Amino acid sequence: MLLDPMGGIVMTNDGNAILREIDVKHPAAKSMIELSRTQDDEVGDGTTSVIILAGELMTVSEPFFTMKIHPIIIVSSYFKAMDHALKVAEKIAREISVENHEEIADVIHSCIGTKFSSRWGSLIVDLAVQAVKAVFINKNGKKEVDIKRYAKVEKIPGGNLEDSRVLNGVMFNKDVTHPKMRRFIQNPRIMLLDCPLEYKKAESMTNVEMTKEEDFAEILRQEEEEVCKLCQAIMKFNPDIVITEKGVSDIAQHFLLKQNISVIRRIRKTDNNRIARVSGATIVNRPEELQESDIGTKCKRFEIKLVGDEYYTFMEECEEPKACSILLRGGTKDVLNEIERNLQDAMSVARNIILDPKLVPGGGAVEMHVATELTKIANTIEGIEQWPFLAAATAFEVIPRTLAQNCGCNVIRIVTELRSKHAEDSKDAPYWGIDGNEGKLADMRVIKIWEPLVVKKQTFKTAIESAAMLLRIDNVVSGISKKEKKQGPAGNIEDAEI
Amino acid sequence: MSVSILGSRESGQNIRDTNVRAVQAVANIVKSSLGPNGLDKMLVDEIGDVVISNDGATILRSLEVQHPAAKVLVELSRLQDQEVGDGTTSVVIVAAELLKRANDLVKYKIHPTTIIAGFRLAMKESIQYIKDYLSVKTESLGKDAILNVAKTSLNSKLIGAESDHFASMIVNCVEAVGVMGASKEMKYPIKSIKVLKCIGQSAKESVHLNGFALMTGRTAQGMPTSIKNARIACLDFNLNKFKLQMGAQVLVNDAKNLEKIRLRELEITKERIEKVLKAGANVIFATKAIDDFALKYFVEAGAIAVRRVDKKDIRKIAKQCGAEVLITLMNNEGEEVFNESSLGSAEEVSEERLGDNDFIFIKGMKHSSSQTLILRGANEFMLDEIERSVHDAICVVKRVLESKSVVVGGGAVETALSIYLDSFARTLGSKEQLAISEFAESLLVIPKTLAINAAQDACDLLAKLKMYHSASQNSSDEKKQEYKYVGLDLANGKVRNNLKAGVLEPTISKIKSLKFATEAAISILRIDDLIELAPKPEKERDGH
Repeated sequence: MLLDPMGGIVMTNDGNAILREIDVKHPAAKSMIELSRTQDDEVGDGTTSVIILAGELMTVSEPFFTMKIHPIIIVSSYFKAMDHALKVAEKIAREISVENHEEIADVIHSCIGTKFSSRWGSLIVDLAVQAVKAVFINKNGKKEVDIKRYAKVEKIPGGNLEDSRVLNGVMFNKDVTHPKMRRFIQNPRIMLLDCPLEYKKAESMTNVEMTKEEDFAEILRQEEEEVCKLCQAIMKFNPDIVITEKGVSDIAQHFLLKQNISVIRRIRKTDNNRIARVSGATIVNRPEELQESDIGTKCKRFEIKLVGDEYYTFMEECEEPKACSILLRGGTKDVLNEIERNLQDAMSVARNIILDPKLVPGGGAVEMHVATELTKIANTIEGIEQWPFLAAATAFEVIPRTLAQNCGCNVIRIVTELRSKHAEDSKDAPYWGIDGNEGKLADMRVIKIWEPLVVKKQTFKTAIESAAMLLRIDNVVSGISKKEKKQGPAGNIEDAEI
Repeated sequence: MSVSILGSRESGQNIRDTNVRAVQAVANIVKSSLGPNGLDKMLVDEIGDVVISNDGATILRSLEVQHPAAKVLVELSRLQDQEVGDGTTSVVIVAAELLKRANDLVKYKIHPTTIIAGFRLAMKESIQYIKDYLSVKTESLGKDAILNVAKTSLNSKLIGAESDHFASMIVNCVEAVGVMGASKEMKYPIKSIKVLKCIGQSAKESVHLNGFALMTGRTAQGMPTSIKNARIACLDFNLNKFKLQMGAQVLVNDAKNLEKIRLRELEITKERIEKVLKAGANVIFATKAIDDFALKYFVEAGAIAVRRVDKKDIRKIAKQCGAEVLITLMNNEGEEVFNESSLGSAEEVSEERLGDNDFIFIKGMKHSSSQTLILRGANEFMLDEIERSVHDAICVVKRVLESKSVVVGGGAVETALSIYLDSFARTLGSKEQLAISEFAESLLVIPKTLAINAAQDACDLLAKLKMYHSASQNSSDEKKQEYKYVGLDLANGKVRNNLKAGVLEPTISKIKSLKFATEAAISILRIDDLIELAPKPEKERDGH
């Protein structure tokens, strides 16, 4: 995460996004890639750190194999180290209030400080905080933040990044079906449907046998009448806008236009769900069964605007919207994609903080602190397990080390300095970290670099558990044909054909 | 005069040697995964999919073994997995060792049938001996014993470091599913334990839930996430628009009727739903689809509907909450009714989010015996392996709870048997004597492998073990009798009383694994001829 302070200019520096693109053959490497996916699923951030840490844990264990220490011992001491590391991290964590907008913004800022969008300062941060706060629901103690379903990112190329904003409502890429329909309505009555407003065929096989010419006309009329009935049912409730997931026939459009109703057709189910959430409407399937309570009125402004060269529908100024759209503008599609990824990260971070408002200092400070504390604890461990435990402690230093490396300063000097700072027995000791921009040591409280505790904890857990799993392997049995065989990491590959 | 056959033929000592070699090769693969210090295997298949496992049966199943004798061994470990669920590695190792030693005997011109008779006798004797002297009743050991059994099974696995956490979880789980069987005996149907895997967090965050969980979300977002005092309906038909069976056609003369048919289709489903809701159901599980238009009725009624539930799951849910799985609403008179009696009840049904997935939890069901374990882990491979380990442990705990007897692990039983059989062999004057003493010797392969895997001095430890056990068997001293529980302490490279240290295994697992191993060895030993028929040559085509 804080690995590329210069800003990933070419493509992305989201660990998961990079690894997802790589095609790996080796089974062990594959499991590493899985790791970053887990991290992404669970907390949505720290995908790079977890790989680095797991890799380092494997590297430091290597000397023990030459020393003939049994892998089981290494594994069990790694697990012990994990327990202690989690405790240490928890100890220096501090709680913040969820209401405090500024503090949350600081955290997100430090998390996405490395990314492309950091050039625009607090913009992305503000977007993320607003979006997450909008979808945050606290229902009798159960906190729910569903970013996946209710915070939709809409990217429209063109314009400036500064034009991006979080809507107080939702938007989608659709226009009214008939050009004469109203494109701007204040305080609209919204009706949501998920059925077609056209003549539907029955499910069962039905054949009509016609003998007379009049019959044919009769059937056509019947079909028309059917649509007319549907429209009348709708018009009874006097809506201003009808939005449906399916199609709307020309006749239906005609009827509705006469009543001055705007119609939008073929919107996505997910969009419809979001509209239901912001407007307070219920999605109805059969117009005959409409009720007054199904009409949504919480949305105060309906507007269709031409953005770029496409029409977009905006539904804004809602009372307590529980869903939102985030409008992103930017130069090109690539830029927008990268910004979207950053925004997703930022939103996950914001979600994590709201769900569990505990923070640890960033900039490698917490890892360094864990390393120092573990080294102290290591001295109290009896027997052979002390060695791998100590190694695990030093492995945590890889994060500040990589940070230092990536900002181009003297790695050895700065890491040693950091270590000595942490070894001091003062109250400030755990908060010293590396300032990625300056390449100097800094008090993380001063430069306000914080990270959510959940992310760090998940990183430690995932990294250590997966390293442990790989260390336990002493034999690779491969079914891949003989030509493609490669040497395994911990043992030899045996022939499967016996 | 020899009969000419198409294909190859191997016989006599040749085939025995090949068989033993093949079996040995299989055993060698799993050998290093035995015991608390055993390591895992990484298996890669043709496509490049990876399985990481410590479980003998899983490892062997993933191998594509071709040699027929080796296949017998693979089957053997599968059988052990089915019957007992644990001890799959040791059974293979013992069988391979038995064969190796039997082959040596054959080389000394002892006829295989004699060896087989000897092995059979030895097996019977050892099982009797385990039952009479080595097994310990769990009542005398208290609840800790069962916990220890689970721990012993888990220790050798990936989650060994967290065995405390998992062992207590598993024991609670298995005890909770216990039901009184027809014959006044407690039964522990492990099928009512559902194991769900969910990527994320760490193994330690795995939880045990009293209730049932489904890995699906509710069908519509408008439904409530939690319902207290749930009344559950289980439907095994679809709630789509009604559709006539294939081939049936309706011929309509009047156009108005066409419209009626269409309306009727919607009405039929609507009526069905209304009947279900009217009976008081507020949670509906359906095995098939629920049409989008039907969802609205559920949303309006404030009910949770879940579609496409697995049939097996729905049966379990129905059984436990007292509901009836309905395949139709039709009653005997041909009318569609939904009786209140078909509803089941539960204290709470709720949807929760774990990791990136939604889960439906059903808690506090009427005949609640169902338990759910939700496993968490760093990645997919790890979760799979944890699931296998947990399954092994569940099986073991179930065996112990049912049979109420355990034996001491850590090589104690094998050593005791070996000493006993050795002295037993000396009481026989026939040729079987040799076979039995070889059988005795083969059993020692277990403590030996354990010691080797822990990188300890196997000879030294084995000598000590033997010393204690022979002392216990040859003396009537009360204190020395206790020595029969002496086994290996692999962490420290010493011997200790494993009964006190809590290294326990179910008796039935040991007995079965001895039986299976012997049977398998015997069946391979009986082979003295291998005829492999060449595939029939393809008929020549008419060439003109």
